[in-house]
Amino acid sequence: MKADGRLLGVLAASAGALLWAVPFAWMAVAALRPGVPADIASLTPGGPFGLQNFAEAWQSGSFPLWYLNTVIVCGGILAVQLVTASAAGYAFARLRFTGRELLFALFLLQLLLIPPLLIVPNLATLVSLHLYDTLPGIMAPYFASAFGVFLMRQTFRTIPRDYEEAAMLEGASIPVLIWRVLLPLAAPGLVAFSIVSVTAHWNEFLWPLMAVSSPSHQVLTVGLASFASGAEAGSAWGVVAAGTFMVAGPLLVLFLVFQRRFVASFLFSGIK
Amino acid sequence: MNPITRRAALGGALAIPAAAAMRSVAQAADPTEIDLFFPVPVQGMLANEMKKLIDRFNAENADIKVTAVYAGSYDDTNLKTRAAIKAGRPPAAVLMSANFVREYVINDEADPFDPLIEKDGKTPVAYMDEFWPALKPNAVIDGRVFGIPFQNSTPLLYYNTDAFKDAGLDPDRPPADWAQWLSAAKALTKPGGERWGLMFPGTYDYCGWITSGLTMANGGQYFNHDYGGEVYYNAPSTLGALTFLDTLVNKLKAMPPGVSDANACTSAFFSGRTGMMALSTGSLSFVRDNMKTPYRVAFLPKAVRNAAPIGGGSLILPKGNSPERQAAAWKLVTWLTSPAIAGEWSRFTGYFAPRKAAYDLPEMAQYMQQHPDAKVALDQLAYAVPWFDTFNTVAVRKAMEDQVQAVLSGKTKPADAVAAAQKSADDLLRPYVEQTALKPIG
Amino acid sequence: MRVLGESFAVGRFAGQRGIGLDNYRRLFADPHFARAAANNLVYAAGTIVPSLVLALLFALALRETGRLNTVLRTLVVMPLLIPLVAAAALFSFILLPGDGLLDFYLGKLGLPMLNWLGDPDLALGSVVAITVWKNTGYYMLFFLAGLAGVPQDLLDAATIDGAGAWRRFRAVTLPMLGPTFGFVLPIAIVNALTQVDHVVTVTQGGPSDATNLLLYYIYQQAAQNYDAGLASAATVITVAALLSLSLLSFRAIERGTHYES
Repeated sequence: MKADGRLLGVLAASAGALLWAVPFAWMAVAALRPGVPADIASLTPGGPFGLQNFAEAWQSGSFPLWYLNTVIVCGGILAVQLVTASAAGYAFARLRFTGRELLFALFLLQLLLIPPLLIVPNLATLVSLHLYDTLPGIMAPYFASAFGVFLMRQTFRTIPRDYEEAAMLEGASIPVLIWRVLLPLAAPGLVAFSIVSVTAHWNEFLWPLMAVSSPSHQVLTVGLASFASGAEAGSAWGVVAAGTFMVAGPLLVLFLVFQRRFVASFLFSGIK
Repeated sequence: MNPITRRAALGGALAIPAAAAMRSVAQAADPTEIDLFFPVPVQGMLANEMKKLIDRFNAENADIKVTAVYAGSYDDTNLKTRAAIKAGRPPAAVLMSANFVREYVINDEADPFDPLIEKDGKTPVAYMDEFWPALKPNAVIDGRVFGIPFQNSTPLLYYNTDAFKDAGLDPDRPPADWAQWLSAAKALTKPGGERWGLMFPGTYDYCGWITSGLTMANGGQYFNHDYGGEVYYNAPSTLGALTFLDTLVNKLKAMPPGVSDANACTSAFFSGRTGMMALSTGSLSFVRDNMKTPYRVAFLPKAVRNAAPIGGGSLILPKGNSPERQAAAWKLVTWLTSPAIAGEWSRFTGYFAPRKAAYDLPEMAQYMQQHPDAKVALDQLAYAVPWFDTFNTVAVRKAMEDQVQAVLSGKTKPADAVAAAQKSADDLLRPYVEQTALKPIG
Repeated sequence: MRVLGESFAVGRFAGQRGIGLDNYRRLFADPHFARAAANNLVYAAGTIVPSLVLALLFALALRETGRLNTVLRTLVVMPLLIPLVAAAALFSFILLPGDGLLDFYLGKLGLPMLNWLGDPDLALGSVVAITVWKNTGYYMLFFLAGLAGVPQDLLDAATIDGAGAWRRFRAVTLPMLGPTFGFVLPIAIVNALTQVDHVVTVTQGGPSDATNLLLYYIYQQAAQNYDAGLASAATVITVAALLSLSLLSFRAIERGTHYES
């Protein structure tokens, strides 16, 4: 009887997962069919197939440059975030100070103030810092991440105090404490956060579009948009699909390769 | 020094040379560097093509270096331009949706072209006469030239000749007035969505465009072409247009209910699931490349008169640029809108060339001969009417579009729709009206 | 460092205060705001509940590590990795009336083909579907983590006591998942209020305001209508609502959980 239930569960899950994959399946099929065939919606067409869409998408833009810029932006943001999130997360988890709850609430508030809301004031700030139209300019509003602080606070709270007490007894100062003892223990949380951060910023569109003008500083999503949008004429779905693959490609590959680590880090990140 | 300020300093150090390079330098040996913001409101290869054009300009003009900056859709470009102006770094020139120009003037964010035209030894009036007349109300505001048209379109009626024959209609005689239009749509319709009579995009911006065209074909003005504070939403001509739509969708069921976007319309047309579609001339090339069954194009049918609203983009000069940058931008603008280049862009995209003289050139004449559909689009220009532009254009436009969409979905009756739209619009226009027409005197 | 981070948060917020009560009065009189608020409530319920439930179900079914499960898990998580604008473009095709993926296959089955994004009655549901598709995999990861933390001995003890699968779930697993819910629910609430890329690119709030959401309303006022006052007032209201919702849910769940420290 238990086996039946298990089988049903597996079947249901498989059906569900396959349903989830349908959009991607279509994207893959469409990307490989040049032109605008009449039955573009079909998941099982007869052909012709070809890689023209990828070629067209590649030619429409400067993908190598966009990849480079996007990597720099995501990497830069992450580097700073890891530092600020760890420090602040530790403070909220361990230290007692007045107004702690209120400050944490303010941090939660920051989660909601996404850049598209604050384009004009943020751009003015960038200009006064001489950061308009630069890659660091894209990164700046994200250096203090409320989500990161939230995550690290949870992570630190699940680590038994004994480790810290032992370290303190040995005369470790707070930075050493954080660096040598807590961070290694919190590594899975950090990994989980890194994945979320990179994914979010890799896929961001509106803010980079506004913060940067020169083509030499464009990131992938903005590049993709230059041939994915259509107002008066229709879109070439195959090319859009091909372009989307090229933008999401590195993330997909990374995910597939590090899949086990990825899931494991969530498992052990103390989110329990 | 903590990481954040370290980063900021590093960023600053990197940015200063970049910023210096961006700033225009009117030194003898260095070229003037300017930037052009442009949108891509139609299918993507335009971004590449624009960049190629700019490369040619740069090659031909050693003293100017233009960077072409892709800025998203018309709306994104508007947002980006205004943000840049507010941040004190206005681009030298922007290709703006033609019906946003008025707002830039109202908000004092654009500079007129008149001094630059006069420096070249022409009068603004004579200069603008070189463009199609219907383009002027959107470009010449308060008597001064603020926009130079670069690419323009009107809606066109595309129809599937095989479907026409199948429905017993004569492909050589497309509907010429609304009565014929309705009966043709009815004849073409097959039940169950197998084939519709007519489709057109009902999404924001397109919807208002078509509605304004229908209203003007019905004899109306739709909005005050010379003053941005008045709209005529609940005038009889507008009501008549909405009643036409209501009949088409809800009584005759010849058009799918609800809102269809441009992609839905073209997909349906290509697969034969709609007999006619009203779509922009900007899609001429796209349709030509993808429609496998025979089709033709025709004027939009008239009610009281023929009317085809203009769409497209004009080049403007944002405020806050130095005279050197403006001079360089003017050179770019004149080059881009010259008959030869305007003609080339038109042949590539399907937009028509705003410069009349472009059609006198041999390449254009030949192109027209080979592509009769482009000729029809050109002929319809005789009936072109201006694009909807008022104070707070987008919101006022949407006040009507929300109602039209509701009529298309069968949720509102036309009479209620126009009344509600007028009320919304009046509320939105009030701040402007109180400062202009209703300004207390003395 | 923390102070700098905080000043980012507070400084940006301070620039947004609505001036005087006039903006608030205009805000509450605006039917678009009321519609956006109503829509957002429906949207929030419609996205949070199904995505959390589905995420939990997927996590329960796929908790064991194995070749098949790894593949299935990947399929569900993949939507997380593409930009929301790309997902929106993808779905604008899938939901294309008549020729889109959904209608194409519905047509083959003889079912009616509907205008998913263009019919005011269906549009919000379609937008909800896009969000659920994109976020469920993400939440599933958290539930997988949470489930792994449920001590096997407790489950075994329950089995020995004669508890069936459902009983075990209710009595042991669900309570142990408390902290996970405590983490995922606020995130889901925040997402329901802050993810509007798809509305911006595909529906623009239409048709007839059917997919207008609070953040989209704010974006429209700030970016399209240049009504900074109205945008600020709306932001303050939205943020206040969000904050109270989050803190409430946070507190309610924290009460039923315990931490190591």
